[in-house]
Amino acid sequence: MSSDIAAILAIDGIASGAIYVLIAIGFVLIFAVTRVIFVPFGDISAFTALTLAALETQRLPGTMGLVAMLAAMATLMQLTADIRASDLKAIPSTLFFYLVVPLVPVALMWFAAGSVMSMPVRMGLSLLLVLPIAPLLDRIVFRPIADASVLLLLTVSMALHFALVGLGLMFFGPEGVRTQPLTDASWEIAGMQVSLQTFLIVGSAVVFSTLLYAFFELTLTGKALRATAVNRTGARLVGIRPAYTGTMAYVLASILAGISGILISPVTTIFYDSGFLFGLRAFVGAIIGAMVNYPVTALGALLVGVLESFASFWSSAFKEVIVFSLLLPVLLWRSLSVGEVEDEAEE
Amino acid sequence: MSKTQFRFLTLAALFLLVASPFYLNAFSMTLLNYIGVYGLVALGLVLLTGIGGMMSFGQAAFVGIGAYAGAWASALQGYSPWVGLMLAIVLSCSVALVLGAITLRLGGHFLALSTVAWGLSIFFLFGNLDGLGNYNGIANVPPISLGPLKLVASWQMFYLIWAIVLLALLASRNLLDSRSGRAMRALRGGNLLVESLGINAFFTRLATFVIAALFAGLSGWLYAHLNRFVSPAPFEVHVGIDYLMMAMVGGATELIGAFIGSALVTLTKNSIQDYLPMIAKGASGQLEIVVFSIVFIVLLQRWRGGLISISSHLLPSPHHDIDRTVTPLSRRPLPQPGEVLLTADQVERRFGGLVAVDKVSFTLNAGEILGLIGPNGAGKSTMFNLLTGALRPNSGRVVFQGRDITHAPQREIAKAGIARTFQHVKIRPKMTLLDNVLLGTHPRTTSGFFSGALRLDRAEEAQARAEALRQLQRVGLGDKPFELAGNLPLGNQRVLEIARALAADPVLLVLDEPAAGLRRQEKQALAELLQSLRSENLSILLVEHDMEFVMGLVDRIVVMNFGCKICEGLPLEVRQDAQVQDAYLGGLV
Amino acid sequence: MKTSLRTLVAVAGTLLSGLPAHADITVGFVTALSGPGASIGIPYGKGIAAAFDYISSVSGEKIKLIQLDDGSDPSTAARNARKLVEEEKVDILIGTAQAPASIAMMAVSAELKVPMISVSPVVVPPTTDRWGVAVPQLPSLMFKAVTDRMVKDGIKTVGYIGFSDAWGDLVYSGAKAAEDRGEMKVVANERYARTDTSVTGQVLKIVAAKPDAIMNGGSATQGALPLLALTERGYKGKIYGTPALLNADFIRVGGKSAEGILVSAGPVIVAEQLPDSHFSKKPSMAFRASYQKVNGSETTDGFSAYSFDAWLIFVDSAKRAMAKAKPGTPEFRTVLKDEIFATKELAGVHAIYNFKPDSAYGVDERSLVLVRLTNGVWRYEP
Repeated sequence: MSSDIAAILAIDGIASGAIYVLIAIGFVLIFAVTRVIFVPFGDISAFTALTLAALETQRLPGTMGLVAMLAAMATLMQLTADIRASDLKAIPSTLFFYLVVPLVPVALMWFAAGSVMSMPVRMGLSLLLVLPIAPLLDRIVFRPIADASVLLLLTVSMALHFALVGLGLMFFGPEGVRTQPLTDASWEIAGMQVSLQTFLIVGSAVVFSTLLYAFFELTLTGKALRATAVNRTGARLVGIRPAYTGTMAYVLASILAGISGILISPVTTIFYDSGFLFGLRAFVGAIIGAMVNYPVTALGALLVGVLESFASFWSSAFKEVIVFSLLLPVLLWRSLSVGEVEDEAEE
Repeated sequence: MSKTQFRFLTLAALFLLVASPFYLNAFSMTLLNYIGVYGLVALGLVLLTGIGGMMSFGQAAFVGIGAYAGAWASALQGYSPWVGLMLAIVLSCSVALVLGAITLRLGGHFLALSTVAWGLSIFFLFGNLDGLGNYNGIANVPPISLGPLKLVASWQMFYLIWAIVLLALLASRNLLDSRSGRAMRALRGGNLLVESLGINAFFTRLATFVIAALFAGLSGWLYAHLNRFVSPAPFEVHVGIDYLMMAMVGGATELIGAFIGSALVTLTKNSIQDYLPMIAKGASGQLEIVVFSIVFIVLLQRWRGGLISISSHLLPSPHHDIDRTVTPLSRRPLPQPGEVLLTADQVERRFGGLVAVDKVSFTLNAGEILGLIGPNGAGKSTMFNLLTGALRPNSGRVVFQGRDITHAPQREIAKAGIARTFQHVKIRPKMTLLDNVLLGTHPRTTSGFFSGALRLDRAEEAQARAEALRQLQRVGLGDKPFELAGNLPLGNQRVLEIARALAADPVLLVLDEPAAGLRRQEKQALAELLQSLRSENLSILLVEHDMEFVMGLVDRIVVMNFGCKICEGLPLEVRQDAQVQDAYLGGLV
Repeated sequence: MKTSLRTLVAVAGTLLSGLPAHADITVGFVTALSGPGASIGIPYGKGIAAAFDYISSVSGEKIKLIQLDDGSDPSTAARNARKLVEEEKVDILIGTAQAPASIAMMAVSAELKVPMISVSPVVVPPTTDRWGVAVPQLPSLMFKAVTDRMVKDGIKTVGYIGFSDAWGDLVYSGAKAAEDRGEMKVVANERYARTDTSVTGQVLKIVAAKPDAIMNGGSATQGALPLLALTERGYKGKIYGTPALLNADFIRVGGKSAEGILVSAGPVIVAEQLPDSHFSKKPSMAFRASYQKVNGSETTDGFSAYSFDAWLIFVDSAKRAMAKAKPGTPEFRTVLKDEIFATKELAGVHAIYNFKPDSAYGVDERSLVLVRLTNGVWRYEP
């Protein structure tokens, strides 16, 4: 392998890695706050790309139907809960938060449909449209079992992923999409063409991870999220509602997933079911970061991207085997270094 | 339901099953075959997840290994399918051994996610290894033959599949009711508990993992000869997730849950396929998976323990006959009273900059009750953990009966004759009192997984049961040995822990704050129990916070504060000690 | 609880067996409406719908069509085949979108003695008791049409990039066959998964091997991925492909990068450009009309046309079989199988079919034309 091939592979790997970083950080965020390993997260990313592609070809994106359906289900569930609790005063706010708010982007899209929009508007709308999905799913699927064991939540999460893939096929169809690149420009660095798109991907990953960090450190909501992550019961005692922090975590993470979807869609073809493998690769990063450590998670996700890129050069047929086998030494090292730990006894 | 009723129903069900080819149509037989094949994998998952607390999304990979082993041997190499069976068993078990050795030290969700990773890797290997037909798979897998008889028709395969299924079910049931099976059932109580009972937690996990892989491999072999065609797609991670769903929906805590789950999933998918097109014409293919997933999510939201949890009252309450006439388990010789039993010598333990135990030394003599007391944060619990092997000291030595146990692992210390209890009671609530106490006999018995599954362990098991019942009677819980331990009040749960510790035939009993949370009468009963044990020459180390409880009970006291030993002596002397009074509530003793 | 399981099964069983109201001839069709094979499975389904609209009775007897989804899973495909035969008593099986699943169905069809027409290019192992035929051009024929053209274009070395799945294996074997005939050398074999985000590594390796031309073993939309990467790396050489790339989304996604790719294709793809004397012209136009009527859109792919041809073969054989036996009986199924293998010079939209009992394939060179993507449209290149 010559050095320029290695350089191309490395750049390519860093670009995919940067996308996995965004998804992996989202995983860790949701897990820390809600203990849910949100498997359908990769799907959210893919759905954003599919939405963007639909807008580009001036079609109504299937996401509208999906969001409307989820909003209706969540509203029904919350209304039932309100009525059961005889909390009739809560009904207006239920209707507002579960029905009106999620339907705002749907309505926007409805009015904007068919008109030619500039690229930033398309991206903004796609992102906006995807945002309600994860929080609504949280309300419908996870909140009724918020106190269940991590493993039960994980299994339900897997089932939810299946449901979303099926819905994705229904709403988006089986064909893949690829959106127009943000830019065609490329720069020459040390005799190599590097597209501006690559810089945008890496840059956005850095910017948004930093923003998230700043949010955690500097804002009250961020601190509440961290408090919930550290100790749920303690957080509840000081007046932080887990349902609220949960929704915040899902919204924040969805922004990351949405951005990753927007960034990746001009680089590769996205299908309704592409999310799972993105998600899995990001998982490897998250596991390297032990699902708690953001910087190590980011490094891990980056490592996965680079390894994937080189593996596709060395032995493309065994690429996945190489990438996922990377986990084994990491896990082995982790299990040996941790030594004897008392894990949470379950009942 | 009584035992006789249950037996009758089981027999009736068996009869219906055996006779099913005579009253069910061909496709129902096909479905039954798939239920059996899938259920076998789910059975392994019940052992792994519901019993052992390990979750695997990767079982489809082991099914694949079994299927490919069978197809390769019979279709490509021309060996008999039975050679393929051997290969399937050997391969699935050895791959599980290697993967388990690497990943099973991990806990909870890490383990689960790692199974996704190796599940995927193995799937891609099937498609890319030369000689396995690549992604096109291996066709023309011959049928299994029994002598001249070739098993081709659905009903013929049915008898083979369900014979294997019933054998696996029987072996699993036997296993769970044996020494090794109890160790498996204890796994969910956490490593600390399991190791303190002298059980090798890692080995037990590994064995459980290999058994689950073995069932999956068997299922794969059956699948290859049922479908007569093998390709990588059915061994994808998605299918692995399906298997786990079967176990969870059926109820992962009961063996039969595996088959309820596999029947439910197979039949639900089949009926969705039949009835969905009538409601949603055109989009049915896409909707099938959606409807199925929603059904699954709702089921788990409603019944977290799976469907079996609705009907668990139909299962017979566990009950065993106990033969009290058997020769008891052999006991180890107790040391002479007054002999030095345990020596802690300059033991030190630091956590970062904090010195939790600072060069503490004391000795414990055989036949005495020694109290280790101190206010909160004095370092008592750390000391306790250092003595029992749950933590390692940074320096110093611990000697027990002349043997240096400073760096011995927890289970070796347990085997050497130190039995412990826990400050926060660690019993297995879903096991009976008798089974909980039987866990204590683990180091005194030897039967393994095989003899458990094949029921070769009955003589020893009878001895162990008699012993466990004796210990239950000794602590005053002998009247209801088949009650579930979780139903006991806290005081009795502590007493149950003591019975479990006694069942290990210990030389030294180490109790961690046994009086915490007990009511006055319960404390009194506990004190009486401990006194009676001393009269039987048992040595006891009592780590306790409650001065009042300790004073009237112990022979000598060691007092700790801020990690140091501040005083040692008879209860009366200690009570007078100014330093002790200072440490405890500023002198308000 | 064991009993409740039994009764559940028994109830399900009786319910199911009570269901089918017997039509005169029953066809069981399986395709992938979900899962990774859906992007070709759905067109297969639309094709069969068009065919059913085109001809829905044989010799005055009505045909009943039952369609099931296999989710791109061979186990489900096999179970579906059993269900169709054992529950619905179908006279013939047609399916499915992916080769492994079709092979799994064929195993069932042979075991239960029901004829089967496969709509995907399966590699059928040699057997004495053959119950199934395959409609598509023999994969080796598809590739031979391409490699013959490559020889004509003076290509000596070829780099291969394809899917890491059954189709990728098949196309690769086609390239290797040309190598074995001494026509060219395969200098690279690179694979990628349908869900991959990047093929940069694979493409770099191919370009480094400096082949005269590149063979694309992908299919449908994601077949465009290597082309885009090749353009990015400045590759200007010739690229060849297979009929699996004939898909509207391939053209849309591939854009400029896909321009000029030369693939072998069934004549139906360029039916409107064919001379009137061509065998495929008339049936193809009829197929397009039915497709438009049933599905409300134009046909753009070759997959739906395979379903259509499978239907034509079935109807043609059934006509003759009806004279000898009554549908719904084992005799009819045997006769139907024999008649399928006796098919002579039947003109379909893809090919002229001639089946013989010793082979599952019944098409010849006439079934393939070469087409080039020019300005987003496939152009007939005689």
